[in-house]
Amino acid sequence: MTEFVIILIIIAILVALGFGLIGMVKGGKEGSDKMFKSLVTRVSLSVLLFILVLFSGYMGWIEPNIIMVDAPIAQK
Amino acid sequence: MNEEEYYVPEGTYWPIIGSIGVSTLFVGFANQMHGAEWGGSVMALGFAITVFMMFGWFGQVVNESTSGIYNKQVDRSFRWGMSWFIFSEVMFFAAFFGALFYARQLSVPWLGGADNNIFTPDLWNAFSASWHQMAFLAPGSVTDTALQSGTVMSFPVVPASGIETATPAMVVNPWGLPALNTALLLASGVTLTYAHHALRAGNRNQIVGWLVATIALGAAFLGFQIMEYGHAYQEGLKLTSGIYGSTFYMLTGFHGFHVTVGVIMLTVILYRVQKGHFNADNHFGFEGVAWYWHFVDVVWLGLFVFVYWL
Repeated sequence: MTEFVIILIIIAILVALGFGLIGMVKGGKEGSDKMFKSLVTRVSLSVLLFILVLFSGYMGWIEPNIIMVDAPIAQK
Repeated sequence: MNEEEYYVPEGTYWPIIGSIGVSTLFVGFANQMHGAEWGGSVMALGFAITVFMMFGWFGQVVNESTSGIYNKQVDRSFRWGMSWFIFSEVMFFAAFFGALFYARQLSVPWLGGADNNIFTPDLWNAFSASWHQMAFLAPGSVTDTALQSGTVMSFPVVPASGIETATPAMVVNPWGLPALNTALLLASGVTLTYAHHALRAGNRNQIVGWLVATIALGAAFLGFQIMEYGHAYQEGLKLTSGIYGSTFYMLTGFHGFHVTVGVIMLTVILYRVQKGHFNADNHFGFEGVAWYWHFVDVVWLGLFVFVYWL
């Protein structure tokens, strides 16, 4: 469930970024406004996502990927 | 210049100088990697030529822009040019994220015997189909200081049969530097948004302040990333550490390179803001760089979530 929400927010961030791009390509007052609003949305969603990921990790809803060095001594 | 005309610049030598600079840089770099003594000097020369080209080419475009020879049509061309550049960037990172998902979800499990198990019998006997266990360490090579500081923790590992195992360890702790770096980059996204707002409101002092903060946060990110690499490398996570090592360094390395480029671009924009090149209605240079920075920020968020968490 948490993973689903996280991925949903990531998609929303990408959509906001995409709208920002459309605004930038359009240009002019209207395009500039659209770009700025979209980027504000993307920043807000990103902060929300970061807090959600850390909180979910803290609560144990998601487990971090452990980057391990293990090892067979394989050079022989 | 009126609406009907289109400004076509004269032929310029900057692209060929750029090509020579970048080629020299890479010839030097490749030979440096192969242990050639002259590699470093050639690299430095290539870097100098590239920087010279950037000053020259950027300067020329800025001069053309401030002298008023660009009209709306040229403005539109710049916007479309930027969007094609962005398209190539999106494809670039999409390929790397694709590689991450393919290796993690499909190829590694297949090699490990999932599905029809067809590959497994012929594998090298030391192969273990594990996503995060990637390095080959000699016993005792995980340092005591790293263990005590908590950045490296012991973990149980099931060894491949018949193979002696060394101390397993956790090299990268998602709660440590990766989380700090995410916070730094997110904060830089916020400060850049404030700079953008200040520009639209026409407040130059505020733009400068917020831009300086953005550049400082980006530079701090890069500093911590270098620290993280040093630490991971010391503990045995290298480009050669199997598919995980390759994917990890490819993604984070190219991202770091993009942050570096972004910091350079923001610095140029800061200089241009101080020179008064932009106003509330006409600031495409700023918009292009701002979007690029937001994009690099989002790529990192994706990395943080998919490499370190999900």
